[in-house]
Amino acid sequence: MQRHHVGRRALLAGAAVTFAVRRLRAQPASKPRVTVISQWSSGSSGAAMMALGKVFEQQGGVWEHNPVPGFTTEMMNKLRAQIIAGDPPAASQLKGPEIAAWSKIAPVVDLDAMVQQAGYETVVPAELAKLSKPHGHWIALPIQAYRINTLFISKKAADQVGVTKLPATWAEFNAIAGKMKAAGITPIANGGIRWDDGMKWEIALCGISLDAYRKMLTELDEKTLKGAEVLAAFRQCRKLADWSDPGIASQDYTTFVPRFMKGEMGMLLMGDWAAGIYKRGGFKVSDYIVGPAPADDGKIAFDLNSDEFMFWQKPQPEFQEGQKLLAKIVMGKEFGPLFCQITGSIPVRTDTDLSAEGFNDQQREASHSMGEAARANRVVLSLAHNMAQTNQITAAMIDVLTEFVHDNRITPEEGQKRLVAAVDNVR
Amino acid sequence: MPSRVTLSRVAIHATLIAFAAFFLVPLVVVALNSLRSTEDIAHGGVIGLPHELMWSNFSGTWSGYCIAQHCDGIQPYFWNSMRMVIPATIISTLLGALNGYSLSLWRFRGDTIVFGIMTLGVFLPEQMRLVPWVIVLRDLNLFNTISGLVLIHIVQGLSFTTLFCRNYYVSVPQDLLKAARIDGAGYFRIFWRIVLPLSPPILIVTVIWQFTGIWNEYLYGVTFSSGEHQPITAALIALSARLSDAPQYGEQSAAVLLAAAPTLLVYLFGGRYFLRGLTAGAVK
Amino acid sequence: MPHLVIWPPILVSCAYVLLFSAWTIWVSFTRSTLMPDYSWAGWRNYSSMLATRNWHIAYTNLFIYGTCFVVFTMALGLLLAVLIDQRIRAENIYRAIFLYPLAVSFVVTGTVWGWLLNPSIGIQKLMHDIGWTSFRFEWLIDQDMAIYTVVIAGVWQASGFAMALLLAGLRSVDADLLKAAQIDGAGPARTYLRVVFPTIGPIFIAVLVMLLQFAIKTYDLVVALTAGGPGLASTLPTVVVYDFMFQRSELARGSAAAVMLLGSLAFVLVPYGLYRMWQQRKARAHA
Repeated sequence: MQRHHVGRRALLAGAAVTFAVRRLRAQPASKPRVTVISQWSSGSSGAAMMALGKVFEQQGGVWEHNPVPGFTTEMMNKLRAQIIAGDPPAASQLKGPEIAAWSKIAPVVDLDAMVQQAGYETVVPAELAKLSKPHGHWIALPIQAYRINTLFISKKAADQVGVTKLPATWAEFNAIAGKMKAAGITPIANGGIRWDDGMKWEIALCGISLDAYRKMLTELDEKTLKGAEVLAAFRQCRKLADWSDPGIASQDYTTFVPRFMKGEMGMLLMGDWAAGIYKRGGFKVSDYIVGPAPADDGKIAFDLNSDEFMFWQKPQPEFQEGQKLLAKIVMGKEFGPLFCQITGSIPVRTDTDLSAEGFNDQQREASHSMGEAARANRVVLSLAHNMAQTNQITAAMIDVLTEFVHDNRITPEEGQKRLVAAVDNVR
Repeated sequence: MPSRVTLSRVAIHATLIAFAAFFLVPLVVVALNSLRSTEDIAHGGVIGLPHELMWSNFSGTWSGYCIAQHCDGIQPYFWNSMRMVIPATIISTLLGALNGYSLSLWRFRGDTIVFGIMTLGVFLPEQMRLVPWVIVLRDLNLFNTISGLVLIHIVQGLSFTTLFCRNYYVSVPQDLLKAARIDGAGYFRIFWRIVLPLSPPILIVTVIWQFTGIWNEYLYGVTFSSGEHQPITAALIALSARLSDAPQYGEQSAAVLLAAAPTLLVYLFGGRYFLRGLTAGAVK
Repeated sequence: MPHLVIWPPILVSCAYVLLFSAWTIWVSFTRSTLMPDYSWAGWRNYSSMLATRNWHIAYTNLFIYGTCFVVFTMALGLLLAVLIDQRIRAENIYRAIFLYPLAVSFVVTGTVWGWLLNPSIGIQKLMHDIGWTSFRFEWLIDQDMAIYTVVIAGVWQASGFAMALLLAGLRSVDADLLKAAQIDGAGPARTYLRVVFPTIGPIFIAVLVMLLQFAIKTYDLVVALTAGGPGLASTLPTVVVYDFMFQRSELARGSAAAVMLLGSLAFVLVPYGLYRMWQQRKARAHA
């Protein structure tokens, strides 16, 4: 008798649960969903993605972020694997000419309608818009921007040699470096890994002649490649290499942060994300002086690095809704403050209000610089961070540059010759 | 009764101790660093004594570190690795034993060539196998699953396990087999009754080898899994890839020790059997 | 009935090796860049790869690193095996110490040795801090010596394995042979050289094969230790393959590099294969 009772109750309970479960399971299928692949698994970038995810879920979506630990190559591996397997993510982090290259291998979403509705194109710098619509249609949305040609000077080191403001030209820079060297300070606090080496060279060229930079890197113009400005850039780069710590090979610049702050190392030529690293390391803004890197012609120059979300076509309606929702959030005015206050980057929209407390002065100055440079057509794309050319061409050039930096037996003339040969090989 | 050659005892011990130091230095450095704070290491160099014991490095890494949107530390990835490594090790060992048994005791035409091909698999660099595996897993509908990873490690491990087992089984006395066959025993009977009982030494060697190899494998683990299903190697890389943070030496060292604990324990307790297995004629 | 069990694992194993190699060889003759693309490109990828500095440096490094790694690991393994064979009381402890590096992943080995050998934060700094300021060990950042730091890390990692195999071999030498040698009045060195080592000849070969495949496949170790640097000085063929295939999205050129790497393996493997066949024929003749 008892058994009967329990049996029926159990049956009822089971049925109720099944009903409830089925109901619950039905719900997520209609919510906008998005799967995102990026390389931002930890640190401040990871935290920023978490914040974005929270906003996405608050607006009713289901957020699934699958970061790939490692660097960009591992992330691209994963993306490639997913695409071959027929299951691309709804959104993936990509940048520069890679957006154009990857868009040819699998269908992407046309965002023109959404962009127009949001009036987005007018508030985004032209260079970024160009990258996002390689074939004339918007297929990617910029997330954040960084300025590569930024100069940081350690306050302690600056005080030791009597420097109070940033050098405006390379000549002034070299003078300061000479003073630091004489005082026993290592003038350059850069690291020695591939992209850092490429960056030193590109910041040099950017400051020497923005036009030469643009011609050479965007058009791979042979005459400019063999010209005087490029040679001058190699010479400046050789000076930078000589002024660095001899043990920089394979070291990331972040390992030198403590010495930089102590005043044992003087100047860092780095993208402005370094400010974020300093902040997370517990250092104050007063510990360093920051501003644009030297520019010989005295005019404003902005060497741009940025990340974008690219949207892959998915047949399921919940993904399509999810992509629309994500696009709306990313294009919105609040996205810049949300994301960039955490990562220390520059919001993409030139009309963003940066007076909020979460932003620091360096971000404000850089953002202002970006707006101005955009208006004056003085924005160029970074070589070392894969913005100016595809990975193939960039890597070939950086091969030459990294060998040049670490081997002072290679003369600037020889370096230039090798660069010309490398570009010819991959053209 | 001295039946072995002897050298001067002092020289022997001195040399052994010197090399032991060389071998131990990295372990000691990592162990010390796991108890130091990151600032301390960044300022004072990688080799040094802790000023205060930062046990928080361990607890933070194990259960608190944030990877993607999960702030559960490396613990979930640890168990993911276990879920992947244990089945892969067991299955690849068993299949390797069967393969080795087939190739060594059941000769057929071309078996040397077949063995040669399988041994070649040991030399293939993993980079060139990545895209083909993507294609294979896609066609088998196993992409992005732990089963897919297990399959990859089984198939790749077969090259090693077959190599080990086959070289071991060739030394099984032919008389035993002949007698069994006269008695009417077939393939399975002989395996079960004769070969398997003789196998523990080589099986232990193979299990240790496979466990370590699969546990420490990085490239496939990262590419063929995602999010919270990734193995521990992915979590280690997340800790050390310096994208937006200065290097976290202290936490990294603690994570390294935690991640290496299973394999270290395997060699600590199984080292004796590893050696015994090799001594029992594993290699010819 | 047994056929159902015998054949599948063997077939899968062989198919995997043959098909994957064939696919790579095929792709190396195509125009694949970001994705596999099966249009014909002839020998272009090979000539292009052979013309890049990355490949030249990597290939030269493979010889340097491969030879040094195999020789030193074998030597150290042999030395340790002989020493432990001397009936050491603390054998268990020594065995654990020499074997544990095998438990550590290549990435960790490379990272930790990268810390130790770095002049600014590692051993050199320690020496300077305790007063020995003239101590110099800057191989890691030296163009010509960086590859040898990879040798150091590799020898550290693999010697235990060589030691284990060789010790197993030493222990399997017939006791009667040794007694006979002793009766003849041979000293320790003579006994080892004339009696023991020749007997365990096949084990040397087996260790050689295992070390060789370690050396060829070295990737994580060098990336974690030197990142291929300074510049390109310590790059290896596997690094070039990965770099071209995945970083530069040039699947075809990377595959060509992989094929060339494996092709050079043939120079070692073919003689070894012939040796094994000769050995087996000898064994069968005796049996």
